[in-house]
Amino acid sequence: MNILEVHNLKKYFATQKAVDDISLQIPKGCIFGLLGPNGAGKTTLIRMITGIFYPDAGEIILKGKKFDPENDAKYIGYMPEERGLYKKMKIGEQALYLAQLKGLSRSDAMYKIKDWFRRFEMESWWNKKVEDLSKGMGQKLQFVITVLHEPDLIILDEPFSGLDPVNSNLIKDEIYRLAKNGATIIFSTHRMEQVEEICDKIVLVNKGKKILDGSVHSVKQDFKENLFGIQLEKVPDVINSSSFEAIKTNKQELIVKIKEGHNPNDVLGYFIKEGVNIVSFKEILPSMSDIFIRLVEGTPSARQFQEIDA
Amino acid sequence: MNKILLIIKREYLTRVRKRTFIIGTILFPVLYLLLIFGTGYIAGKNKQDLNVGIIDKSGYFTEQLVANANRGDTANNLTLIRISEEVFKTQYDSLGYNGYVVIPENADWKKGLDSLVLNTNKTYGIGATVPVENKLNKLWSEIKNDSLGIDAAKKEILSKSNINLKTSNAKNQDADAGAATVIGYVCGFLMYLILLLYGSQVMMGVTEEKTSRIAEVVVSSVKPFQLMLGKIIGIGMVALTQFLIWIACIFLIYNLGKFSDGGAMGNAVGMVQRVFTSVHIFVVVGCFIFYLLAGFFFYSSLYAAIGSAINEDMREAQSLSFPITMLIIFSIALMTPAISNPSSPIAVWSSIIPFSSPIVMMARVPFGVPNTVPWWQLGLSMALLIAGFIFTTWFAGRIYRIGILMYGKKPSWKEMIKWAFRKQ
Repeated sequence: MNILEVHNLKKYFATQKAVDDISLQIPKGCIFGLLGPNGAGKTTLIRMITGIFYPDAGEIILKGKKFDPENDAKYIGYMPEERGLYKKMKIGEQALYLAQLKGLSRSDAMYKIKDWFRRFEMESWWNKKVEDLSKGMGQKLQFVITVLHEPDLIILDEPFSGLDPVNSNLIKDEIYRLAKNGATIIFSTHRMEQVEEICDKIVLVNKGKKILDGSVHSVKQDFKENLFGIQLEKVPDVINSSSFEAIKTNKQELIVKIKEGHNPNDVLGYFIKEGVNIVSFKEILPSMSDIFIRLVEGTPSARQFQEIDA
Repeated sequence: MNKILLIIKREYLTRVRKRTFIIGTILFPVLYLLLIFGTGYIAGKNKQDLNVGIIDKSGYFTEQLVANANRGDTANNLTLIRISEEVFKTQYDSLGYNGYVVIPENADWKKGLDSLVLNTNKTYGIGATVPVENKLNKLWSEIKNDSLGIDAAKKEILSKSNINLKTSNAKNQDADAGAATVIGYVCGFLMYLILLLYGSQVMMGVTEEKTSRIAEVVVSSVKPFQLMLGKIIGIGMVALTQFLIWIACIFLIYNLGKFSDGGAMGNAVGMVQRVFTSVHIFVVVGCFIFYLLAGFFFYSSLYAAIGSAINEDMREAQSLSFPITMLIIFSIALMTPAISNPSSPIAVWSSIIPFSSPIVMMARVPFGVPNTVPWWQLGLSMALLIAGFIFTTWFAGRIYRIGILMYGKKPSWKEMIKWAFRKQ
């Protein structure tokens, strides 16, 4: 079952088609990566999903029903990229206030806040003000406030920026735990190594359009270039095979590209026939970072302004 | 709806709990009184008593007359100069005089002295020179009286012939124009200060939410319009609380005054009591609460729209809020003619048109409802102000919704109006 479906969503601003006909499905319990270069339209898309913006066209289906921002706010937790809290307000009161705005009762909110604060070792923060916190501490607090009301859909925009590895791991573990408990996480980031590590599914948007959609595994398969790394005891000086070509040679490792219509067995067969001892053999898949760069390369690094006739 | 209440509660409590609110509530009336009495005191202190020499070439002025005049009025001192004119003119400064007048040789009591020149080497304000003029006039009248042969008894009769004009409104015997003028000024200025101070509080609050990026977190839970409305109502309640505390203090003093008598305290209480009985205090307080809230909603929603449009730079706020602030200042400018003639067309219309009505109407109401301000005027003014604030709140809400999430360049008023009338 899909927790969120977006059909042909459009949002045009005066000088930009910020989101131009994007459709996507996010299954329940999935950790979903929303990728794209700066200004691709990710934030606008997220703002429509969170009910901050009205779409110009298209529809959003949340939990099988048409999204109603007024009443569905409690199902969504959103952590914007630019963190925001009242600087002068006490942390405990602030968490209580924001949780109540999401629709939690006061006692319920209080219980949950205490629980999270204990888990994140933030109990002593209750009467402190946000302006007393370091950037990383603020980040942690913002995360807690985002997930406090146990939303079904959690949207995190660059959740790890500014966090040290220890706190990064703390949050990462929480994300896994929440996903395991049935929450769906939309994860917007530029950090491709995190996407590979955490996400199940991804969508890549560029210039307001979706240009890639699939699981991390299938995307990698789609973009593989039939490259294999083969470690040999001794790399022969001359390699002459009709089934593959050598791309690069390190001391003992050879990177080969298998030609159309051939398979890895042909490579291994060749070296066995040649009498070269094989140490290891593995497929080289492109990293998400490579795929990202390949797809958005050639796009101007900043979006240009254009006139829109809407 | 529940969420708006939460927002109102937060806005209200965070402000009322602040030390600045408590200090402001106590200190404001004290400072206000200090300002009124202080300026009066300083003005009194600052008045310069001039020492003026009279060089009389006509021979009308005698030492006797000048001494009598000085005895009757000590605000300045006139001295008949007997030493050489040339010497005095060059040395009057060092002799301790501030200036001198020369009575020309051809002065004639029948024709009168049209103009004299007070020669000084500094510039003195009219506060100092007018008493000199008055005293010289009095002296000159004495000289005329003596020349006409009018004796003390006749003088007595002449001085008694002054008529003192008092006003009496046939429909409203209680009306006291003096008290109404004072209350009108106090109400108008208080309204002006509250609109300006709390309006800019709304603006700063909105800007703070925008720049600290909390707005984006909150509007994913509530509609932007709810956030704006919650803030405006919350701050409006703070203003109302402050006003009610002041009213409560006045009533407290009033009731305490019934049991005490005499002394400065008793005098002050007596004054307040006279004022209370001379104007319909409940009508005034009721109208004040209405115009405070309605006027506040009218202006503060516009301030909220500006707050949402600007970024961290406070100079942006000033340039964008200038037209709104001008409207408030213009209203206070209309107040003065409205008080001096509360039934004039300018007073009537400026108390009905929404932008100036909170201040001007509050200046008129103490003169009496329904005699000076007929019911239809009050009703029309209130209805128009309600319609006005519904419009400004709607208008501001549409700007706010876009502005609160818009970073970068400050928009112009033209662009903001475009936002307001754009489709969703």
